[in-house]
Amino acid sequence: MGGEFFVGVLGVLILSHAAYSTIRYRSVLKITEEQFSGPPIDVVIELIAGMVLCLWAALSVPGKFLSIHPHSDENRMVALPANLDFIVFNHRGKAYPLDMDLKLN
Amino acid sequence: MVSKTEEEQLNRLENQVDNGGGGAWEYLSLLIKLKIRRSDKVLKYGVPILNDHKKRSALGPEEWTLYEQVCIAAMDCHQLDLSKDCIKVLKKKFPGSRRVGRLEAMFLEAKGLWSEAEEAYTSLLEDNQFDQVVHKRRVAMAKAQGNLSGAIELLNKYLEIFMADHEAWRELAETYVSLQMYKQAAFCYEELILAQPTVPLYHLAYADVLYTIGGLENLQAAKKYYAAAIDLTGGKNVRALFGMCLCASAIGHLAKGRNKEDKESLELQTLSAVALEKDYKQTSPSKLPLVSSCLRSLKVPL
Repeated sequence: MGGEFFVGVLGVLILSHAAYSTIRYRSVLKITEEQFSGPPIDVVIELIAGMVLCLWAALSVPGKFLSIHPHSDENRMVALPANLDFIVFNHRGKAYPLDMDLKLN
Repeated sequence: MVSKTEEEQLNRLENQVDNGGGGAWEYLSLLIKLKIRRSDKVLKYGVPILNDHKKRSALGPEEWTLYEQVCIAAMDCHQLDLSKDCIKVLKKKFPGSRRVGRLEAMFLEAKGLWSEAEEAYTSLLEDNQFDQVVHKRRVAMAKAQGNLSGAIELLNKYLEIFMADHEAWRELAETYVSLQMYKQAAFCYEELILAQPTVPLYHLAYADVLYTIGGLENLQAAKKYYAAAIDLTGGKNVRALFGMCLCASAIGHLAKGRNKEDKESLELQTLSAVALEKDYKQTSPSKLPLVSSCLRSLKVPL
């Protein structure tokens, strides 16, 4: 968890650095009076790296994935709950008293 | 609903508690969460927690839930003194509570004082006409007295108001099955499948009912629902696989001569037979010869 969170923070830092570099690049362009056609290649690489790190962190930090397959062990129903709202006390349990001596004190 | 992982967790916890490994409270709350009826265990592990002042106060507000759980379990095991003590404690803590009033009425039921219990439930209903649990208790009371047709009547009345209550639909279906009124039971299971289409056990129960009614059309429908159950469980439900084999065999016998979809039917039967044999080979190899000879005898010669 800690490592993954750190990777996410690193990704966000890289993305902000890319934004900062682009702003700097544009201000430099303004001074040299050239047209802005696209960010330089190192900023693009930085962007991709930051995005990948952020994606990875976003997928792994919140928790593990749950299965959506109906036949996976988490989703496969094997028993219905006992219908406890309709519980009936008039059964053979009366004839077999528990051999426990239970008392509240 | 109890899924496979939850079942495994429950079994592990039960083993641990039975062998004195602790975790009694986790076990008891899992029983409540999964709505499982293990009244003897609830008494065995719940009463010591209630008697131990330190453990009890560590539960916080959950303490009262445990009192209620133990109270109902005590009625189920006919330890009436114990449940009376629980009700006394709860009544002192929550005077005038309807939930405790329900427990008192259930206590009358457990004692077998039917008319008194009925009176108690009626007065509870006067307080709040839409108390679903009280309505259900009246159904259960009719059932406890062996008056199944009365229980059906009450359930039908209840379901007219609370149509979305699938537990009540299930109870009605099971009551109809126990009276061999399969057409009505089939209707209830249709409702259940509509309400919760992803639960394979409803498909399975519906297919069972259709197979029991019999007739070519019903058998073909049953086969489809067995297939749905197999699909939803990934072929891990043995009953659905057996049902598929039986259905295919019965259809083969009935539709001899006019074999239109025999080929598909035969394929399904062979596939489920293979799955069954594989399953038996893994879990109980000693029964494998029995199963395979039985499955072979089900095959209809073309």
